[in-house]
Amino acid sequence: MPISSSPNRYSAVAQGFHWIIAGLIVTQFTLAWMAEDLPLGMHKLALLARHKSFGMTVLMLAVFRLLWRLFNRPPELPAGMSKTERVLAKGTHVLFYILLFAMPLTGWLMSSAKNYSVSWFGRFTWPDLIGKNEQAFELLKTTHQTLSWLLFAIAILHILAALKHHFWNKDDVLRRMLPFTKSEKRS
Amino acid sequence: MKRIIVAAATAVLLSAAAAGADNVAGYTADAQQSKLEFTGVQAGAEFKGVFHKFTAAVDFAPDALAGSHIDVQIDMNSVDSMDKDRDTTMRGKDIFDVAHMPTAHYVTKTISKTAAGFSAVGALTLHGVTKDVPIDFQFTNAAGGAKLAGTAKLNRLDFGVGQGDWKSTEWVGDAVKVSFSLVLKPKS
Repeated sequence: MPISSSPNRYSAVAQGFHWIIAGLIVTQFTLAWMAEDLPLGMHKLALLARHKSFGMTVLMLAVFRLLWRLFNRPPELPAGMSKTERVLAKGTHVLFYILLFAMPLTGWLMSSAKNYSVSWFGRFTWPDLIGKNEQAFELLKTTHQTLSWLLFAIAILHILAALKHHFWNKDDVLRRMLPFTKSEKRS
Repeated sequence: MKRIIVAAATAVLLSAAAAGADNVAGYTADAQQSKLEFTGVQAGAEFKGVFHKFTAAVDFAPDALAGSHIDVQIDMNSVDSMDKDRDTTMRGKDIFDVAHMPTAHYVTKTISKTAAGFSAVGALTLHGVTKDVPIDFQFTNAAGGAKLAGTAKLNRLDFGVGQGDWKSTEWVGDAVKVSFSLVLKPKS
Protein backbone atom coordinates (compact mmCIF):
# COMPACT_ATOMS: atom_id res chain seq x y z
CA MET A 1 0.00 0.00 0.00
CA PRO A 2 1.56 3.30 -0.98
CA ILE A 3 2.14 6.01 1.61
CA SER A 4 0.79 8.80 -0.56
CA SER A 5 -2.44 8.69 -2.52
CA SER A 6 -2.30 7.40 -6.08
CA PRO A 7 -4.73 8.72 -8.67
CA ASN A 8 -7.19 5.94 -7.89
CA ARG A 9 -6.52 4.94 -4.25
CA TYR A 10 -6.41 6.62 -0.88
CA SER A 11 -3.03 6.33 0.83
CA ALA A 12 -2.48 4.12 3.86
CA VAL A 13 -2.26 7.26 6.00
CA ALA A 14 -5.55 8.65 4.70
CA GLN A 15 -7.23 5.26 5.19
CA GLY A 16 -5.81 5.04 8.71
CA PHE A 17 -7.18 8.47 9.64
CA HIS A 18 -10.55 7.63 8.07
CA TRP A 19 -11.14 4.31 9.80
CA ILE A 20 -9.66 5.19 13.20
CA ILE A 21 -11.70 8.39 13.40
CA ALA A 22 -14.82 6.60 12.12
CA GLY A 23 -14.41 4.01 14.90
CA LEU A 24 -13.92 6.75 17.50
CA ILE A 25 -17.03 8.59 16.32
CA VAL A 26 -19.16 5.43 16.63
CA THR A 27 -17.74 5.01 20.16
CA GLN A 28 -18.55 8.65 20.95
CA PHE A 29 -22.20 8.30 19.91
CA THR A 30 -22.53 5.09 21.93
CA LEU A 31 -21.01 6.62 25.09
CA ALA A 32 -23.09 9.81 24.78
CA TRP A 33 -26.34 7.89 24.32
CA MET A 34 -25.56 5.65 27.28
CA ALA A 35 -24.71 8.61 29.54
CA GLU A 36 -27.49 10.94 28.42
CA ASP A 37 -30.33 9.80 30.67
CA LEU A 38 -28.29 8.76 33.69
CA PRO A 39 -28.44 10.82 36.90
CA LEU A 40 -25.16 12.35 38.05
CA GLY A 41 -23.38 9.39 39.55
CA MET A 42 -20.31 7.26 39.22
CA HIS A 43 -21.53 5.52 36.08
CA LYS A 44 -22.27 8.76 34.25
CA LEU A 45 -18.94 10.27 35.36
CA ALA A 46 -17.10 7.24 34.01
CA LEU A 47 -18.89 7.28 30.64
CA LEU A 48 -18.45 11.01 30.17
CA ALA A 49 -14.80 10.86 31.21
CA ARG A 50 -14.19 8.34 28.42
CA HIS A 51 -16.31 10.41 26.02
CA LYS A 52 -14.14 13.46 26.74
CA SER A 53 -10.86 11.54 26.40
CA PHE A 54 -11.91 10.01 23.08
CA GLY A 55 -13.24 13.39 21.93
CA MET A 56 -9.91 15.07 22.60
CA THR A 57 -8.22 12.20 20.74
CA VAL A 58 -10.44 12.97 17.74
CA LEU A 59 -9.49 16.64 17.99
CA MET A 60 -5.77 15.82 17.97
CA LEU A 61 -6.20 13.39 15.06
CA ALA A 62 -8.30 15.99 13.22
CA VAL A 63 -5.40 18.45 13.32
CA PHE A 64 -3.02 15.93 11.74
CA ARG A 65 -5.65 14.70 9.32
CA LEU A 66 -6.39 18.22 8.08
CA LEU A 67 -2.66 18.89 7.62
CA TRP A 68 -2.28 15.62 5.72
CA ARG A 69 -5.29 16.48 3.54
CA LEU A 70 -3.91 19.94 2.76
CA PHE A 71 -0.61 18.54 1.48
CA ASN A 72 -1.89 15.36 -0.16
CA ARG A 73 -4.41 15.32 -2.98
CA PRO A 74 -7.07 12.65 -2.62
CA PRO A 75 -7.90 10.53 -5.67
CA GLU A 76 -10.18 12.18 -8.22
CA LEU A 77 -13.92 11.53 -8.21
CA PRO A 78 -15.10 9.14 -10.95
CA ALA A 79 -15.54 10.79 -14.33
CA GLY A 80 -19.22 9.96 -14.71
CA MET A 81 -20.47 12.02 -11.74
CA SER A 82 -22.90 14.88 -12.36
CA LYS A 83 -22.25 18.43 -11.19
CA THR A 84 -24.84 18.08 -8.40
CA GLU A 85 -23.26 14.85 -7.19
CA ARG A 86 -19.83 16.47 -7.16
CA VAL A 87 -21.06 19.50 -5.18
CA LEU A 88 -22.86 17.19 -2.74
CA ALA A 89 -19.77 14.99 -2.30
CA LYS A 90 -17.45 17.98 -1.79
CA GLY A 91 -19.92 19.69 0.57
CA THR A 92 -20.32 16.59 2.70
CA HIS A 93 -16.58 16.16 3.02
CA VAL A 94 -16.00 19.82 3.92
CA LEU A 95 -18.75 19.52 6.53
CA PHE A 96 -17.11 16.39 7.95
CA TYR A 97 -13.85 18.26 8.41
CA ILE A 98 -15.65 21.19 10.07
CA LEU A 99 -17.48 18.82 12.44
CA LEU A 100 -14.27 16.94 13.28
CA PHE A 101 -13.20 20.19 14.93
CA ALA A 102 -16.58 21.62 15.98
CA MET A 103 -17.72 18.54 17.90
CA PRO A 104 -14.71 18.24 20.24
CA LEU A 105 -14.36 22.02 20.58
CA THR A 106 -18.01 22.55 21.63
CA GLY A 107 -17.62 19.59 24.00
CA TRP A 108 -14.46 21.06 25.48
CA LEU A 109 -16.14 24.48 25.85
CA MET A 110 -19.16 22.78 27.46
CA SER A 111 -16.97 21.08 30.04
CA SER A 112 -15.18 24.34 30.81
CA ALA A 113 -18.47 26.24 31.19
CA LYS A 114 -19.76 23.57 33.59
CA ASN A 115 -16.46 23.64 35.54
CA TYR A 116 -15.65 19.99 34.81
CA SER A 117 -12.14 20.20 33.36
CA VAL A 118 -11.24 17.75 30.61
CA SER A 119 -8.69 15.07 31.38
CA TRP A 120 -7.06 12.91 28.72
CA PHE A 121 -7.37 9.38 30.13
CA GLY A 122 -6.18 10.72 33.50
CA ARG A 123 -2.75 11.44 31.98
CA PHE A 124 -3.07 15.20 31.84
CA THR A 125 -5.71 17.90 32.11
CA TRP A 126 -6.58 20.27 29.29
CA PRO A 127 -6.90 23.93 30.28
CA ASP A 128 -10.40 25.37 30.61
CA LEU A 129 -11.29 27.47 27.56
CA ILE A 130 -13.87 29.64 29.33
CA GLY A 131 -14.92 30.28 32.89
CA LYS A 132 -17.87 28.78 34.71
CA ASN A 133 -21.07 29.97 33.02
CA GLU A 134 -24.36 28.10 33.35
CA GLN A 135 -26.06 29.91 30.44
CA ALA A 136 -23.10 29.33 28.13
CA PHE A 137 -23.16 25.67 29.16
CA GLU A 138 -26.82 25.25 28.17
CA LEU A 139 -26.22 26.97 24.84
CA LEU A 140 -23.11 24.90 24.12
CA LYS A 141 -24.88 21.71 25.10
CA THR A 142 -27.67 22.44 22.62
CA THR A 143 -25.06 23.26 19.96
CA HIS A 144 -23.08 20.09 20.67
CA GLN A 145 -26.27 17.98 20.41
CA THR A 146 -27.51 19.69 17.26
CA LEU A 147 -24.12 19.25 15.60
CA SER A 148 -24.14 15.59 16.63
CA TRP A 149 -27.41 15.08 14.74
CA LEU A 150 -25.95 16.86 11.73
CA LEU A 151 -22.91 14.59 11.94
CA PHE A 152 -25.17 11.55 12.25
CA ALA A 153 -27.17 12.65 9.21
CA ILE A 154 -24.17 13.26 6.94
CA ALA A 155 -22.55 10.02 8.14
CA ILE A 156 -25.66 8.12 6.97
CA LEU A 157 -25.58 10.04 3.68
CA HIS A 158 -21.86 9.24 3.34
CA ILE A 159 -22.40 5.50 3.95
CA LEU A 160 -25.38 5.34 1.57
CA ALA A 161 -23.42 7.22 -1.09
CA ALA A 162 -20.45 4.85 -0.76
CA LEU A 163 -22.76 1.84 -1.09
CA LYS A 164 -24.55 3.41 -4.03
CA HIS A 165 -21.21 3.96 -5.81
CA HIS A 166 -20.18 0.40 -5.11
CA PHE A 167 -23.37 -1.51 -5.92
CA TRP A 168 -25.20 0.82 -8.33
CA ASN A 169 -22.47 2.67 -10.22
CA LYS A 170 -20.04 -0.23 -9.77
CA ASP A 171 -17.07 2.18 -9.50
CA ASP A 172 -14.14 2.01 -7.07
CA VAL A 173 -15.17 4.89 -4.74
CA LEU A 174 -15.73 2.53 -1.78
CA ARG A 175 -12.89 0.16 -2.58
CA ARG A 176 -10.23 2.84 -2.75
CA MET A 177 -10.86 3.63 0.94
CA LEU A 178 -10.82 -0.04 1.96
CA PRO A 179 -7.56 -1.53 3.11
CA PHE A 180 -6.54 -4.96 1.76
CA THR A 181 -8.41 -4.52 -1.51
CA LYS A 182 -7.30 -3.60 -4.98
CA SER A 183 -8.84 -0.86 -7.03
CA GLU A 184 -9.53 -1.55 -10.64
CA LYS A 185 -7.40 0.23 -13.14
CA ARG A 186 -9.56 2.95 -14.55
CA SER A 187 -9.64 3.27 -18.29
CA MET B 1 26.12 27.39 92.07
CA LYS B 2 25.52 25.72 88.74
CA ARG B 3 22.30 24.18 90.08
CA ILE B 4 21.05 27.53 91.23
CA ILE B 5 21.64 29.04 87.80
CA VAL B 6 19.81 26.19 86.08
CA ALA B 7 16.93 26.48 88.55
CA ALA B 8 16.76 30.24 88.07
CA ALA B 9 16.90 29.93 84.31
CA THR B 10 14.14 27.27 84.39
CA ALA B 11 12.00 29.50 86.58
CA VAL B 12 12.50 32.42 84.19
CA LEU B 13 11.62 30.27 81.20
CA LEU B 14 8.55 28.81 82.91
CA SER B 15 7.27 32.18 83.96
CA ALA B 16 7.92 33.48 80.47
CA ALA B 17 5.94 30.59 79.03
CA ALA B 18 3.14 31.20 81.51
CA ALA B 19 3.16 34.91 80.74
CA GLY B 20 3.18 34.01 77.04
CA ALA B 21 0.14 31.80 77.48
CA ASP B 22 -1.64 34.66 79.14
CA ASN B 23 -0.71 36.90 76.25
CA VAL B 24 -2.17 34.67 73.53
CA ALA B 25 -4.38 36.90 71.46
CA GLY B 26 -7.93 35.84 70.77
CA TYR B 27 -9.35 36.26 67.28
CA THR B 28 -12.34 35.33 65.17
CA ALA B 29 -12.18 34.92 61.41
CA ASP B 30 -13.81 37.59 59.27
CA ALA B 31 -16.54 35.71 57.41
CA GLN B 32 -16.38 37.92 54.34
CA GLN B 33 -12.66 37.82 53.72
CA SER B 34 -11.75 34.34 54.96
CA LYS B 35 -11.70 31.42 52.59
CA LEU B 36 -11.86 27.66 52.95
CA GLU B 37 -11.19 25.77 49.73
CA PHE B 38 -10.72 22.14 48.74
CA THR B 39 -9.41 20.47 45.60
CA GLY B 40 -10.47 17.01 44.57
CA VAL B 41 -9.79 14.91 41.52
CA GLN B 42 -12.71 13.81 39.39
CA ALA B 43 -12.28 11.71 36.26
CA GLY B 44 -8.59 12.58 36.21
CA ALA B 45 -9.13 16.35 36.37
CA GLU B 46 -8.92 18.56 39.44
CA PHE B 47 -11.95 20.49 40.63
CA LYS B 48 -12.17 23.09 43.35
CA GLY B 49 -14.87 23.81 45.85
CA VAL B 50 -15.35 26.19 48.74
CA PHE B 51 -17.38 26.25 51.92
CA HIS B 52 -19.07 29.62 52.11
CA LYS B 53 -20.12 29.31 55.75
CA PHE B 54 -17.68 28.53 58.51
CA THR B 55 -16.62 30.11 61.76
CA ALA B 56 -13.15 30.09 63.25
CA ALA B 57 -12.01 30.93 66.77
CA VAL B 58 -8.26 31.39 66.99
CA ASP B 59 -6.10 31.92 70.07
CA PHE B 60 -2.63 32.43 68.78
CA ALA B 61 0.74 33.89 69.62
CA PRO B 62 3.86 32.77 67.75
CA ASP B 63 5.83 32.74 71.02
CA ALA B 64 3.19 30.91 73.08
CA LEU B 65 2.22 27.93 70.99
CA ALA B 66 1.27 25.79 74.00
CA GLY B 67 -1.62 28.11 74.72
CA SER B 68 -2.60 28.56 71.06
CA HIS B 69 -5.60 26.89 69.43
CA ILE B 70 -7.41 26.98 66.14
CA ASP B 71 -11.04 25.89 66.16
CA VAL B 72 -13.10 25.82 62.97
CA GLN B 73 -16.76 24.89 62.49
CA ILE B 74 -17.88 24.26 58.92
CA ASP B 75 -21.42 24.30 57.59
CA MET B 76 -21.28 21.40 55.12
CA ASN B 77 -24.45 22.56 53.40
CA SER B 78 -22.57 25.67 52.20
CA VAL B 79 -20.41 23.60 49.83
CA ASP B 80 -19.99 25.20 46.41
CA SER B 81 -17.99 23.57 43.62
CA MET B 82 -19.41 25.93 40.99
CA ASP B 83 -21.82 23.35 39.64
CA LYS B 84 -25.21 22.86 41.22
CA ASP B 85 -25.53 19.23 40.06
CA ARG B 86 -22.23 18.29 41.68
CA ASP B 87 -23.10 20.28 44.85
CA THR B 88 -26.44 18.47 45.18
CA THR B 89 -24.67 15.14 44.77
CA MET B 90 -22.07 16.06 47.39
CA ARG B 91 -24.74 17.08 49.93
CA GLY B 92 -26.52 13.77 49.39
CA LYS B 93 -26.43 10.75 51.69
CA ASP B 94 -23.64 8.94 49.84
CA ILE B 95 -21.13 11.77 50.18
CA PHE B 96 -21.42 14.46 52.90
CA ASP B 97 -24.90 13.42 54.07
CA VAL B 98 -25.61 16.95 55.30
CA ALA B 99 -29.08 15.94 56.49
CA HIS B 100 -27.46 13.86 59.25
CA MET B 101 -24.02 15.46 59.55
CA PRO B 102 -24.54 19.17 58.87
CA THR B 103 -21.27 20.39 60.37
CA ALA B 104 -17.62 19.50 60.34
CA HIS B 105 -15.28 20.55 63.11
CA TYR B 106 -11.52 20.99 63.32
CA VAL B 107 -9.66 21.76 66.53
CA THR B 108 -5.92 21.73 66.96
CA LYS B 109 -4.27 19.61 69.67
CA THR B 110 -0.65 20.71 69.28
CA ILE B 111 1.02 23.50 67.35
CA SER B 112 4.73 23.65 66.64
CA LYS B 113 7.18 25.93 64.85
CA THR B 114 8.65 24.77 61.53
CA ALA B 115 11.23 26.23 59.16
CA ALA B 116 8.51 27.58 56.89
CA GLY B 117 6.02 28.67 59.54
CA PHE B 118 3.95 26.47 61.81
CA SER B 119 2.43 23.06 61.77
CA ALA B 120 -0.36 21.65 63.86
CA VAL B 121 -2.09 18.38 64.46
CA GLY B 122 -5.78 18.60 65.07
CA ALA B 123 -8.86 16.45 65.27
CA LEU B 124 -11.14 16.72 62.26
CA THR B 125 -14.69 15.53 62.66
CA LEU B 126 -16.15 15.08 59.20
CA HIS B 127 -19.14 12.96 58.24
CA GLY B 128 -19.36 11.85 61.89
CA VAL B 129 -15.83 10.40 61.90
CA THR B 130 -13.02 11.97 63.96
CA LYS B 131 -9.41 11.57 62.88
CA ASP B 132 -6.19 13.52 63.29
CA VAL B 133 -5.25 15.72 60.36
CA PRO B 134 -2.02 17.72 60.25
CA ILE B 135 -1.94 21.23 58.80
CA ASP B 136 0.87 23.58 57.79
CA PHE B 137 0.29 27.29 58.05
CA GLN B 138 1.77 30.75 58.16
CA PHE B 139 0.79 33.44 60.58
CA THR B 140 1.29 37.10 59.75
CA ASN B 141 0.41 39.98 61.95
CA ALA B 142 0.78 43.20 60.03
CA ALA B 143 -0.60 46.62 60.82
CA GLY B 144 -3.68 45.85 58.72
CA GLY B 145 -4.57 42.80 60.78
CA ALA B 146 -3.60 39.21 61.44
CA LYS B 147 -3.85 36.44 58.90
CA LEU B 148 -3.53 32.70 59.16
CA ALA B 149 -3.20 30.77 55.92
CA GLY B 150 -2.24 27.21 55.20
CA THR B 151 -2.90 23.83 53.69
CA ALA B 152 -3.79 20.29 54.63
CA LYS B 153 -4.14 16.97 52.90
CA LEU B 154 -6.62 14.29 53.79
CA ASN B 155 -8.14 11.16 52.37
CA ARG B 156 -11.90 11.39 52.00
CA LEU B 157 -12.42 7.66 52.56
CA ASP B 158 -10.80 7.88 56.04
CA PHE B 159 -13.97 9.78 56.96
CA GLY B 160 -16.38 7.60 55.03
CA VAL B 161 -16.97 10.44 52.56
CA GLY B 162 -18.14 8.35 49.63
CA GLN B 163 -20.51 5.45 50.20
CA GLY B 164 -21.84 2.96 47.68
CA ASP B 165 -20.41 3.61 44.20
CA TRP B 166 -18.49 6.59 45.53
CA LYS B 167 -16.22 4.32 47.59
CA SER B 168 -14.38 3.61 44.38
CA THR B 169 -11.42 5.86 43.73
CA GLU B 170 -11.27 5.09 40.02
CA TRP B 171 -13.24 8.20 39.00
CA VAL B 172 -13.14 10.30 42.19
CA GLY B 173 -9.75 10.40 43.91
CA ASP B 174 -9.30 9.62 47.59
CA ALA B 175 -6.84 12.44 48.30
CA VAL B 176 -8.28 15.89 48.84
CA LYS B 177 -6.22 19.03 49.26
CA VAL B 178 -7.51 21.75 51.56
CA SER B 179 -6.36 25.33 51.72
CA PHE B 180 -7.52 28.06 54.03
CA SER B 181 -6.95 31.70 54.55
CA LEU B 182 -8.34 33.23 57.72
CA VAL B 183 -8.46 36.97 58.06
CA LEU B 184 -8.50 37.53 61.80
CA LYS B 185 -10.23 40.17 63.88
CA PRO B 186 -9.48 40.60 67.59
CA LYS B 187 -12.11 38.85 69.69
CA SER B 188 -14.43 41.45 71.12
